[in-house]
Amino acid sequence: MAHIHLGEGSFPLWALALWTAVGVGLISIVVYRVRKGGIKTQHIALAGIGAAASFAVFQLNLPVWGGIHMNLTGLVGILAGPTLGALVALVVNIFSAALGHGAVGLLGANTLVNATEAIVAYYIFKTLLGMDWDVFPASAGAATIGLSAGAILMGAIIVISGVNGSALPRADLTVAVAGLVGLNLGVAVIEGILTGFIVQFLASVRPDLVGLTDRQRGEDEPAGVTA
Amino acid sequence: MTTLSNHVPDPRLITAYAEHRDSPLHRVNPWTKFGIVGALVLTVTVADALAILVGVYAATLVVYGVAGLPYKRLALWYTLPLLFIVSVAGPLAFLEPGTPIGGALGTPLGELSVTWEGAILFAELSCRSLTVVTFALTATMTTRYADIAYLLGRTLPSPIDQVALLTYRFTFVMIETLEDLVKAVLARGASLSEFWANRRTYARILGMTLLTAIERSERLVKSMEARGYDGDITLYGDVPRPPLRELVAVVACYVAVVGYALVAVYGVVSL
Repeated sequence: MAHIHLGEGSFPLWALALWTAVGVGLISIVVYRVRKGGIKTQHIALAGIGAAASFAVFQLNLPVWGGIHMNLTGLVGILAGPTLGALVALVVNIFSAALGHGAVGLLGANTLVNATEAIVAYYIFKTLLGMDWDVFPASAGAATIGLSAGAILMGAIIVISGVNGSALPRADLTVAVAGLVGLNLGVAVIEGILTGFIVQFLASVRPDLVGLTDRQRGEDEPAGVTA
Repeated sequence: MTTLSNHVPDPRLITAYAEHRDSPLHRVNPWTKFGIVGALVLTVTVADALAILVGVYAATLVVYGVAGLPYKRLALWYTLPLLFIVSVAGPLAFLEPGTPIGGALGTPLGELSVTWEGAILFAELSCRSLTVVTFALTATMTTRYADIAYLLGRTLPSPIDQVALLTYRFTFVMIETLEDLVKAVLARGASLSEFWANRRTYARILGMTLLTAIERSERLVKSMEARGYDGDITLYGDVPRPPLRELVAVVACYVAVVGYALVAVYGVVSL
């Protein structure tokens, strides 16, 4: 999961206000859509426990480059969908900020980044499945692209905002942030592959969870022409 | 061996400190602590002098100690915030224009040196970040589970509050599920020391965690609907309004920060 790798107070006040407003705007749209569509109990339960699982997974230290942590935001998007995925991103960020990971003032920016990851991963996954891709490449590709979109957005937010107290021109700041974005893109590939394996595993035990029931039913039906 | 990380705060330990310890901070009203977090975010955003930032950070460290919380754990929990600071502020320390500290190192791309301005920026960013990290942890480690749930229920709009309350409730369950799965895999002789060689094992552990979560959510739906869930999880606790002296203290914090910003930082008001 990419998120703003800057601590509290790293953005000037105007940027804090801007990204908070954009984040609130995004979540307001999501909440409006959820309320308008009439949220079901199962959606609330899935989002709540999905966020808890995502938060729990973050506690696991993966032995890559000395240890990395993942929230599997792309996977949450694939499983929960774009609207619930965005809500899960917000809730996970609130809990992370309360534990000193992330930042209270950057909740808007971080939610924007993570919601983008979940939303992009969901739509790419559905598109690739529609193109008859296999589950592993579709989910791995979708998660990698979603996480990459989040990493690039994260870099863009930092460059647009500037760093509080820094006199560095934007061009030089872009160079400094590019390294961070590159590192996140590397993690995105690893997380994407891991997501692919997880979705493959879930599809083998509960194909309905990843929307494969119709596809399998279709495959079982006679094609009309046999040898 | 891969285990659950000790440099990410464990919500179970944090809740244990909140529930079973006592200190002056435990007796402060949760709304007051919530208000102070906001004031600190504003302070570290507008403050532009290293001395002030160091002072505020030192004050939060003292408050953390007064609450009887463990400094050793705090040092471990600083790992990720510091990593984040280093990942961006590290390059900035070299790129920031200014006077080099010591000599410059010749590289094929040009001279490389840490400047005084870059080092000060690094120190400022560290103080800004660690101040709020320290106080956020202090607040969560001195506020009881029921009170945090009440604050979540009161401050977030529906249905985010419902999702947050379920997340808070089931975080503990999911961590234990994940921990049990890791233990079970290790007990069966698996090695998790290398990621790529064990990628399928990792996928099974994480997949099973999510599957457990989803199946638990399906059972939860039945139980919620059986109890007549209508979009509102009833909270029986109550967090009263802060006492007057705490309210005055919070308002004073905001007045001081806004006043400082208007006079010393933005120069909107001259004295």
